[in-house]
Amino acid sequence: MEREIPAVFYDGVTSKPQEATVRVSDLNSLEVVLPDGARFQWPLEHKGMEWERSSSMLRLSFGDHPRRVLLIRDELFIKSFVLRMRYTGRQGGYDRILSFARSGPVAFFLGVVALLVCAYLWVLPWAAERLVLLVPTSLDERIGEAAYQQMAFALKEDQGKTVALQAFGDAMELSPSFEPRYHVVEDAQVNAFALPGGHIVVFTGILEKMSSAGELAALLAHEATHVEKRHSTRMMARSMAGYLFLSLLIGDVNAVVTLVAENANALRNLDYGRGLESEADGVGQEVLFANDLDPMAMVRLLELLEREATDVPEVLAFLSSHPLTEDRITAARERAGSLGVPQRPNERLGVLFEQLHPTTDQPTDEMPSSDN
Amino acid sequence: MLGAPPAQRFAFKGKGGDLFVVLIVNMLLTFITLGLYYPWAKARKLSWYYEHTELDGHPFHFHGTGSEMFRGFIKAIALLLLIYGTYIVGVLTKEVTIVLVGILVMFVGLLAFIPLVIHGSLRYRSSRSSWRGIHFGYRGQLRELYRICLRDGLLTLITLGIYASWFTINVRRYTLSHMRYGSSSYAYKGDGTEYFLLNLKGYFLTLFTLGIYAFWWQRDLFNYYVNNLVWNFQDGKRIDFKSTATGGGFFGLMVVNLLIIIFTLGIGFAWVEVRTMRYVMENIRMEGDADLNAVVQTEQEHKNAMADDLGDLMDIGVFF
Repeated sequence: MEREIPAVFYDGVTSKPQEATVRVSDLNSLEVVLPDGARFQWPLEHKGMEWERSSSMLRLSFGDHPRRVLLIRDELFIKSFVLRMRYTGRQGGYDRILSFARSGPVAFFLGVVALLVCAYLWVLPWAAERLVLLVPTSLDERIGEAAYQQMAFALKEDQGKTVALQAFGDAMELSPSFEPRYHVVEDAQVNAFALPGGHIVVFTGILEKMSSAGELAALLAHEATHVEKRHSTRMMARSMAGYLFLSLLIGDVNAVVTLVAENANALRNLDYGRGLESEADGVGQEVLFANDLDPMAMVRLLELLEREATDVPEVLAFLSSHPLTEDRITAARERAGSLGVPQRPNERLGVLFEQLHPTTDQPTDEMPSSDN
Repeated sequence: MLGAPPAQRFAFKGKGGDLFVVLIVNMLLTFITLGLYYPWAKARKLSWYYEHTELDGHPFHFHGTGSEMFRGFIKAIALLLLIYGTYIVGVLTKEVTIVLVGILVMFVGLLAFIPLVIHGSLRYRSSRSSWRGIHFGYRGQLRELYRICLRDGLLTLITLGIYASWFTINVRRYTLSHMRYGSSSYAYKGDGTEYFLLNLKGYFLTLFTLGIYAFWWQRDLFNYYVNNLVWNFQDGKRIDFKSTATGGGFFGLMVVNLLIIIFTLGIGFAWVEVRTMRYVMENIRMEGDADLNAVVQTEQEHKNAMADDLGDLMDIGVFF
């Protein structure tokens, strides 16, 4: 290749560009000729020689700061130069990937997208779950404790009922890995919640609506399963992993993509949340059975929740964390059927339940204690 | 000086498809390496932008490398972990005083870093930028920047945010006036009062026109940036920058950009970036007869990329 290739030369001393010509003198160096006739050899295998190729230009630089620079735009030369560098192993991995991507940008893009979707749908959840297994349960307790201390100020706890509920809960074996601590809080909401590590809060609103010890046991079994199965920690791990995944990918992209992706992620978390509710129902029923209680109590608890939750609009119910009660009731009924009724009914709970429930105010034909 | 009209000497030559490929490869590698590739990705992207921006037909060059930015990235992460760690430890101990100290350390710590981030980013980024083999440089003093930020930050607080316009311009004037290109230097002549009035007008007119004036406000901000910038040379000659951007131009640019983003579900972002860069570069004109060949290399290398990455992680945009 005895061609003379036009190039631009910057000497690193002044900003004056020079129109140079480059000749390939041998395999390992270029000869550069400047307009004033000066000529020098440009070694290709020298450690101080660096090259970069952009879409339309080859940039060679040499020496210590300030470096001397050659810019070449001759396409033929660039092609043979890159081949030569690849042959001697001086082409970086990045350059290879970029050339590959440039040869079929659309296919490359679709491949990357497919890879990312697979990773998001399967690898990420798997990794997040594995991560939680590595985290000691004491972390659940610390997080739950800190969260409870923070919200305790705002909760109006009924001390007497709390003691009674603790006795009620302790009469069963609900969560072998943790020591559940129960709280009764004065609030009209028909609801209860569990914090990681063992704090379980039951509102008086739901207690009042209950008509049997079995329903309360089912509620505690459900919430204790959230604790035992570390649902909050798993949920946190999943949503954090999802968030990290997204911010990693779309850190550079605009607001619209971010919005779409973050909402998709949130919906997916909700979906996962529903899965956890079903698990809490199912395992809760097994726990009930193991404690000599009728698993049908879970069905009655869910029916109660459904009755009381009718004022929530359909759209919101779809998004809430205790949704789709109908489906859950059906599933719970099927499970109760396959588990059957325990041989030795648990009698003790009925007595404890009466301390928590103002039955004396409203004597009904259906005596709660006779339920089990 | 009533001579030739301001000449168009900047140009942006990048193509959307080309940037798209660069960004997708970055995305793939960042993903495969669980984010560790981030500094290299950033270097690749910046290089691409520099390489396709030309002045008088000569491209700019970004000298930063992934590995030096990676070191900065690690240092920045360690620093942030330390700051947030104090806070988290505070929360876990449940002692109210320790929690409060933790929060204080976090906020003061993060705020105290802002001048450092600006200073460090400017030093690093400018020293790793060159044109025709001559490096840019930033010679501002960190102590002086702290003084400005502390004074103006307090004034902004006391005036309930009104002083923010002066704050912005004072920092801009200080930093730009200490930017250099080899033996030549830059100056910024903007002042806070004018900037404040411009924003006041922009805010109310945008409100009254239900947002339509926003494009003209954008034009005013852009013009205020460009038209106050001066490039001084050793021989006493200078080049004035002049903006030719118009409200209509910004309107067309931003509306089409938005449509591209919406209808491609964001995939068209590379084309949006290119359109924007082209518009900006075509509308920064130059006026003056200074000799761009006469600049001499003066600046040393500055390789510490920590502040630059800290700025990224804290979401502080130094390069307006």
